[in-house]
Formats: sequence, C-alpha cells, structure tokens
Amino acid sequence: MQPTTTQGPSAARIIDGVKIYGEGNTEVRALDGVSAEFEVGKFTAIMGPSGSGKSTLLHALAGLDTIDAGEVFIGDTELGSLKDKALTELRRESVGFVFQAYNLIPTLSARENILLPLSIAGREADKAWFDNVIEAVGLLDRLSHRPTELSGGQQQRVAAARALVSQPEIIFADEPSGNLDSTSGAELLSFMRKAVRDFGQTIVMVTHDPSAAAYADRVIFLDDGKVVASMDDPTTDGIFEAMKDLGN
Amino acid sequence: MSSHTRLALTAIAIILGVAFVSGTYVFTDTIKGQFDSLFTDIYQGVDVAIAAEGTGVGSADVPFDESVLDIVTAVDGVEIATGGVTGFATIITTDDAGDPKIVQNGGAPTLGFAWSDVSRLSPLSIKDGNGRGPTTSSEVAIDVGTAAAQGFKLGDVVKIQATGEAEDFTIVGLMSFGDQDSLLGATLSAFEMTEAQRIFGLEGQFNSIGVAAISGVSAADLARDINEALPAGIIAITGQSQQAADLSEVNDSLGIINIALLSFAAVAVFVGSFIIQNTFRIIVTQRTRELAMLRAIGATGRQVIVMVVVEALIVALFASALGVVVGIGLAGAIRSAMNAAGLAVPPGSLVVLSRTVFVGMATGVIVTMLAALLPAYRASKVSPVAAMRGETRVRKTTMRKRAITGVSISALGLVFLMTGLFGSVGNAIANVGGGALIMFIGVSVLAPLAARPIANVIGAPLPKIFGITGTLAKENTKRAPRRTASTASALMIGIALVTFVAIFAATIKASIAETVDEAFPSDFTIQSSQLGEDPNIPMTFSRDLVGQVDALDEVAVAGAFQFGEALINDEKGFITAVDPAKAESLLTIEPAPGALDSLTANTIIVSEKLLKARNWTVGESVTITTPLVEDVPFTVTGTFARTEFGDYLISTEVFTQQYEPTGDGFVAVKLAPGVSLEEGRVAILEVTDNYPTTELQDKSELVADAEKQIDGALALFQGLLGLAIFIAVIGIVNTLALSIIERTREIGLVRAVGMSRRKVRKMIRWESVIVSLFGATLGIGMGLFFGWAVARALEDEGLGKFAVPFGQLMAYVVIAFFAGLIAAVWPAFKAARLNVLEAIAYE
Repeated sequence: MQPTTTQGPSAARIIDGVKIYGEGNTEVRALDGVSAEFEVGKFTAIMGPSGSGKSTLLHALAGLDTIDAGEVFIGDTELGSLKDKALTELRRESVGFVFQAYNLIPTLSARENILLPLSIAGREADKAWFDNVIEAVGLLDRLSHRPTELSGGQQQRVAAARALVSQPEIIFADEPSGNLDSTSGAELLSFMRKAVRDFGQTIVMVTHDPSAAAYADRVIFLDDGKVVASMDDPTTDGIFEAMKDLGN
Repeated sequence: MSSHTRLALTAIAIILGVAFVSGTYVFTDTIKGQFDSLFTDIYQGVDVAIAAEGTGVGSADVPFDESVLDIVTAVDGVEIATGGVTGFATIITTDDAGDPKIVQNGGAPTLGFAWSDVSRLSPLSIKDGNGRGPTTSSEVAIDVGTAAAQGFKLGDVVKIQATGEAEDFTIVGLMSFGDQDSLLGATLSAFEMTEAQRIFGLEGQFNSIGVAAISGVSAADLARDINEALPAGIIAITGQSQQAADLSEVNDSLGIINIALLSFAAVAVFVGSFIIQNTFRIIVTQRTRELAMLRAIGATGRQVIVMVVVEALIVALFASALGVVVGIGLAGAIRSAMNAAGLAVPPGSLVVLSRTVFVGMATGVIVTMLAALLPAYRASKVSPVAAMRGETRVRKTTMRKRAITGVSISALGLVFLMTGLFGSVGNAIANVGGGALIMFIGVSVLAPLAARPIANVIGAPLPKIFGITGTLAKENTKRAPRRTASTASALMIGIALVTFVAIFAATIKASIAETVDEAFPSDFTIQSSQLGEDPNIPMTFSRDLVGQVDALDEVAVAGAFQFGEALINDEKGFITAVDPAKAESLLTIEPAPGALDSLTANTIIVSEKLLKARNWTVGESVTITTPLVEDVPFTVTGTFARTEFGDYLISTEVFTQQYEPTGDGFVAVKLAPGVSLEEGRVAILEVTDNYPTTELQDKSELVADAEKQIDGALALFQGLLGLAIFIAVIGIVNTLALSIIERTREIGLVRAVGMSRRKVRKMIRWESVIVSLFGATLGIGMGLFFGWAVARALEDEGLGKFAVPFGQLMAYVVIAFFAGLIAAVWPAFKAARLNVLEAIAYE
C-alpha cells in the first residue's frame, strides 16, 4: 500500500523515523522508517495492533521522546535539534495532551487543572474561548470541584478542555476513551470532533478501537513500525475491513 | 528513587544518633584511660601517701606542719620520704604591645610544685640534656611543652606570679611529666622547696608527703605503722588507694561531661526517631497495595507486621553498626579539636569498650523498632479490598480523636514540666527534661491539625509571587497534613531547644546587667582572670593589693572580699567574708539595721530568704565546718535582703581564722569624689599591673565580660543542637524524596504540558521551605514557652528579667528557611530529571 500524501499544510510530520529499543537479540525496532504528515485542521487517528509502534510515534511527534534516526517536525520546527528547555517551551506553546489516565493534579480544582498549561506559561486565558470550551465539554457546574469529586468521564473531559484551552497548534491524544464507558467515550470523542470541525483544532489520536477511530477524518494504520495503510472519512465497518485485510 | 536510597536516608538518621551516643562513650572512656595512666605515673614509686585529713569541705589540700616529715622518716620500713608543696603559679610574658600576658592554654590550670630530686617519688623529671632541677630561690624548671610553645630556652628569665606579686625566675631545667612533655595543656613550674613554700604562702608547711618503702615491706603494713606515729588529723594511705581516690574524683567530673553529651545524644536520637517513623510510614503507605494483595491471598495482619518490622530490623542493625564506627571517628575528631584548642590531650588509642558498642547498637535498634512498629500496625489494619481499589490512604485518625490524644499527652508533659520547675516532687531536672520530651510528642500529635491552616498562612504569598508553581507548592504541603507535620516536628524540636537556650541566655544577660547596676555602688572591681577548680569560688590574689589600691589618692575606699565553701548545720553553702566597715559603701545588700555592725567574732548574718527557708530567727545558733575547722558555733545576728553576694556573710577577720588565708577573691573600689573613671583606671592600673593575674573592670566591662561568657556557652549549645537541626533537614530530604515518588505522574504531567525543569525545582523548593517554616513556627512557639516557664521558675534565683532575643529568633527562622532550601536541592534535582514519558506511565 502507498504512503498517503495530504493536500493542505501539515501541523506535524515525521520523515523516515526510526526508534530502536534494546540491543542485539532483544532489539526492537518500534519505529522502522516511518513517514507521515498530519494536516492542519484535521482529526487523524493512528491505529495498529499492540506493538505496532503507534504510541511511540505519538510520543515522538509530541516531543516527549526522541527518535534514533529521521526527522520530526511540529509546524516548521525540527525537534531533533532541540534541547530539553526548548522542547519544554515547544510543548507549552504548541502542543496539547490528552492521556488515557486522565493525569489531573489532585490538589487543583477542575478550573485550575484546565488553566494549568496557561498558568505554567504565565498567560491569561482568552475569556470567550474558555467559556466556549467549558460549554462544549459541559463542565460549567463542575469547575470548582477537585478531580476526586468528578466521574471518570468528567475527569477526561477536564483533561480535554485543558488541552484545548491554550489553543495549541496540535493536540495529541493517547487512547483518550480507553478508560471510559461507551457513553462517556462517545461524548468525549464527539467533543473532540466538534473541536476540529467548529474550532479548526488539529488532533492526532492513537487508539485501537475502530469505533473511536471512526470519529476521525482520516485513519493511518501502523504495523511493525511502518505506515501500512490509510483511509479518509472512515467508518467503523470500513476500518474493520481494512484491519482484516492487514491481518492477512 | 530506589528503595536503597530510601533506606539509606533512614539509615543516616539512625547513624547520626548512634554515632553521638557511642562517640560520647568512646571520648569519655579514652579521657578516663588517660587519667588512669597519668595517675599511675604520679604514684609510680609512691608506696604510701600522707595528707591532712581535713574536714571533708572544699577540694584543696589542707597543709600541715613540715615537722611531720621527720616523724614519718623515723618509722621503720620507710626508705625515703619527701614533702610536697603545690599551688597555682602563673607564668607571665609580654604581648606585642609590651603589656603583661599570662600563659594559659584554654582553661587548663597553671600548676606550681616544689622540686624534688627523689625521682621515684615525683612524676616530674628533667628531660635528658635539658638542664637540671632548681636549687636556689631564683631558679625554676618548667615543662617541655610550655617551653616549646612559648619559645623559652634554658637561661631565660621569666616572670611568675603565685600568691604574691610576680617575680623573676631563671629557667634552669625543662621537665617531663611521666613520659609526656606536657600535662593535658597545663603549665608546670617547679621551685626549690623553701622558695615554693614562700611563694605559695606555705612557710614551714607541706600539702603532702610521699613515702617509698624498703623493699620487702608491704605498702599496707607501712601505712598502718605510719598512721600509728602520725599526729591526729593527718593520715597515711597506700599509694594505690590514693590513686583510686583521685581517679574516682576524675570519674565524677567526667560523669558530668558524659551526662551532658549524652543528653545531646538523646536529642539527636529523639529527633531521629521522628524521621525513622515518618519514613516507615510513607514506605508502608506506598506499599499498601502490595501489602493488601498479600492480605487478600491469605497473609495475616501479624505477618504483615513482621514483614515491615524485619525490614526495619535489618536497616537498624546495619545503620547502628555504622553509627558506632562513625562515633569512634567522632571521638577522635573531638580529641583533635581539643588538641587544636591548646589542650594537649596525649595521643594513644581510643578506648572502645564492649559496653559502648552494645549501648550504641541497642539504642539504634530499639528506637528504629519502636518507630517502625506503629506504621506496621497500621498497615496490618488496611482492608484488602480498599487497598486493592487504590485507596492508598491508611485508616485516618479522626480530627477529634487526634485532638483529644494530643491535648492529653501535652497536658501530661506540662504537668511533669511544671512539677519539675515549681514543685518539689522527685528529680527536678528529670521532670523538666521528661516533661519537655512528652510535650514534644504531644505537640507533634496535634501538629497535623495545625498543618493546613499554618501552611496556608506561610504559603499565602507564594501563588502571588510564583503563580501556579507557588500554588502547587502550597497545595502539596496541605495535601498530607500528617506528613507535613511529622516532617516539621523533627525541625520543631531542634528549633525549640535553640530558642529556649537563646531566651535563657538573654534572660541571664538582662538580669546580670540589672543586678550589676543595682548591687554595685562601686566603680571598679578587681578579680582574678583565671578559673579555679570550683566555679563557685574565684581564684585568689595577693592580700597586698587591696591596701595598695586603698592608699591611692584617687580612691575613696577599696575593700576585699573572700569566698569559701562551708557546711552550715551540715548543709553545704558558700560563705562570703567582708570588712564590715567597708561593706556598706561597696555593696548594696540592703542589710537590716545594725546587721553589718554586728559582724564580729563568730557571728554571721544571712539573707532573709534563707532565714525563712531554714526557719531560723535572729539569735539562732548554727555550727560551721570549713576546710580547716569543724563545728564552730556561730550566732546569726542579722539579715540582709539582696543575695547577689551569697546567703552567708561573715567578717574577713573571722574568715581568716576559719580558712587558709591564701588571698583575696574580689576587690571593690569606689573612686574619690571628682575623680573620673578614666583617671581612676589609670591610677589603679599602676598597682594591678604588678599582679598580672588580676583584671580591673568597671561596671560595663564586668557586664560585658559576663555576657561574653554566656555567649560562649550559648554558642556551644547552639553548635550541638545544630546537629538536631541537621538531622531534621535529612528528614525533610527524605519526606520530599518519598513524596516525589508518589507524585511521579503529576510531575510527569506538568512537565508534559510545559513546565520547565527550573520551575519543577522551584515548586519542590518552596514546598520544602513551607514545611521548614512550619517547623520553625512550632519550634519557636514551644521554645518561647519553655524559656518563659524556666525563667519564671528561676525568678528568685536572680533571673528577674525575662528577655526575648528577637533578632536571634529571626535568625532561626532564616536558618529554617535556608535549611528548607538546602533540603530540597537533591529531591528537586531528582524531580526535574524524571523522564516525562516514564513518569506519565508510572503506576
């Protein structure tokens, strides 16, 4: 299958990325010459079986991990040459995260958690945008609660709002609905799609769940550290079909 | 942080406590051993030692007539006997400005002897090739160590002052003491016998006689035979018994040092136990899930306890053993420090008794086990299901229960403290110490209740200054109030103790200033600048001095005072002797009308307080025992109000009959009208310069001198208690490092969303500072209370002026602040270096 090309400008891309864990017999090539681009204003899902390298790819793109060969760009910035300080700044200014385990700070209220990246950067939130986001995630009456007083779905929506509120160039989500029941998961994913459609946010999401991936504009399939297929405007059934093909 | 590091930090707390305990024993045992060999040198050839029996009062040797020597020599079995004369003889040099300067190493004594050529009866000998013993009145031999330190050579002329004015002597020999060049830093000088008797005011007298037996005659038999020949009041004992008696005297004073050092060790161990307990509690909490899993698959609560306790035991054994080793090194370091300070401690191997090892190990193990037991018990009570669900909080004590327990314990401590201070039940010092200890525990139980509100106040400015970093730091200290509180408690103890000592010192200083001002109508005082054996009795100086000062035109009146220990109706007391005619104008003792005039033969006046305490009345008949006389009847003929000069006053004339008239202890001088302080000083110095061991001071110098001494003692205490603060800092490091493990994911998250390493470090640092300042707040509060209570208790002992050294207390807060910063360095570094990816994925 051909590596796909995208039409619009890319928010992030990786070129011939290689990531190797271990040595000798235990060597694992988590990324094996992977190349991909993620278009601005699109919701992209990365799928693949366990060990296909999808999480490694996400971490490399997000500047949380370094690769052994190849290049990674966020916008026009190549990450390989950046020191920790510059990487930290890049994450702070340009990247948002949603993790599978919500990773909220228990001592801070929902509002403070949402504003955390802005607070760290020492920036003020855009009031209108903040209200927009809060309304979209439906947390208006929960803002003063601590994370322990929120349900799992609410916690993950706080995490999503935290990623959105600083209007980063790109948001990376790692199995965001993985810990949620199907209703909460659907709510969260709808919200993410809404953020892309209505606000023009760029999102890259790793998932192993075809129904989650179906919320995306585009899916790319990874196996053995390489992109093996891609699909635009996917449906759950279409993804199942593609996975079956790949399995063969 | 691996579990190794975690346990290593716990171990440091144990090691320090144990090291202090064992170091104390090694140090005192070593000194004891050195005195042992010293006395062996002294009594090497002495089979029988003879001394006046005395009355059991005072420690000085009572002299006796030299004719006793002839009686002793005539006894069958005596090969040779020599008389001994000892006293204080101070060598005087000049400083760079040409002013006289006394030669003294630290507080070591300046000893003078009569030279004896009978080397087997004397520890003093001329070192080979260094001259000879003194044979004429103008010759002296001094010890090799002092000569080397001062650059004295044979033939040099030095000034030496004994009881009279300083006189010139020519150095004709350099001496060893036993086989040492020096005697523990003391200066030694030996004179020809008659000269020694003259300069020590012992004409025709000896302090002691040493006897060597003819070979084949046993020392015990000879002592018995000599005793039969001796007049009443003079006794002979074997050299061995004398050696044992001297050694036990040294042991008594070393015992005091031992107790003092061990109380600091106890503080170190006590503070350490807080840290050990805290560490084990955090470790157990972090392993709750693991322990609960064990419970779920069938482990009993008891097995869980055993697991935790065994882990503690292994750490305790290892750390205690290391602590003993460090303690031995510590003792060696103290000895080197003493050598550097001029006290020549003879080299020799450190004495490590099996008792030292045992006590050190036992302390470490028992304290650690006790500290680990409570967390272990709590861990065993965790419900398996709750723990598996991830509720890492161990059963929480309710606020109410904690408040009740804490208040009860504190109240119990308070009762002990107050009983010790104001009551008369049991041992006062033990009650005060024990009460303070219990109060510390009580307050540390209560501390978690105060942790949130106080952290809120202390941390209030942080969010404004540092934004979210400050908020996170503040919130982190509030999330686990128990942990914050017990971490701070360790610091609290150290700060409370230094605060107490500082307040106590400030109160003494303020009271002294007040006392000197009120009690001395005189302009100048003259005292010896040297320290005697007994701190209650000043060293004396020549009786000639007061007359010479009194004769000056610039001086209106100069009067001398003498001091001595006595038994009054068999109770120990200190007697002050005054010239009744001069006392009124030189002292403000507020005597009852006619009291001073009543001081004549065998009358005594006492303080009103003492009169009341003893249930005496004026006219009461009392008996007095001094070093020279026993049960002399005296009549109480009056009272006085102020006790700065003691509770008992007699006249100088009577004093000289009851005590050896060696010299004056104190001279007060009032200037003639119109003479300025400076004119007076110049005139009096003309006289006192001939007595270099004396020191002329006006009132402000007297106060400054006393303050300097107090500051010296204060510095020593602060240095030792600094150890407690050091241990507390280790506790903060430990707790921070452990809480960072707990918060690995959070730290990973803030790093992922863009917090720089610098800000992570800042967050941890401020968290640490809040905890330290919390500890300092509690500590200063408790220290203030202790200081106030003790000052109140001693109000009648001359501590009338309670003073709080605010500057110093502020300094402690600043120290706590920096202690917090320093404690955070390593944990902050660790937190900042966490790998973001691993941190986020951390379970």
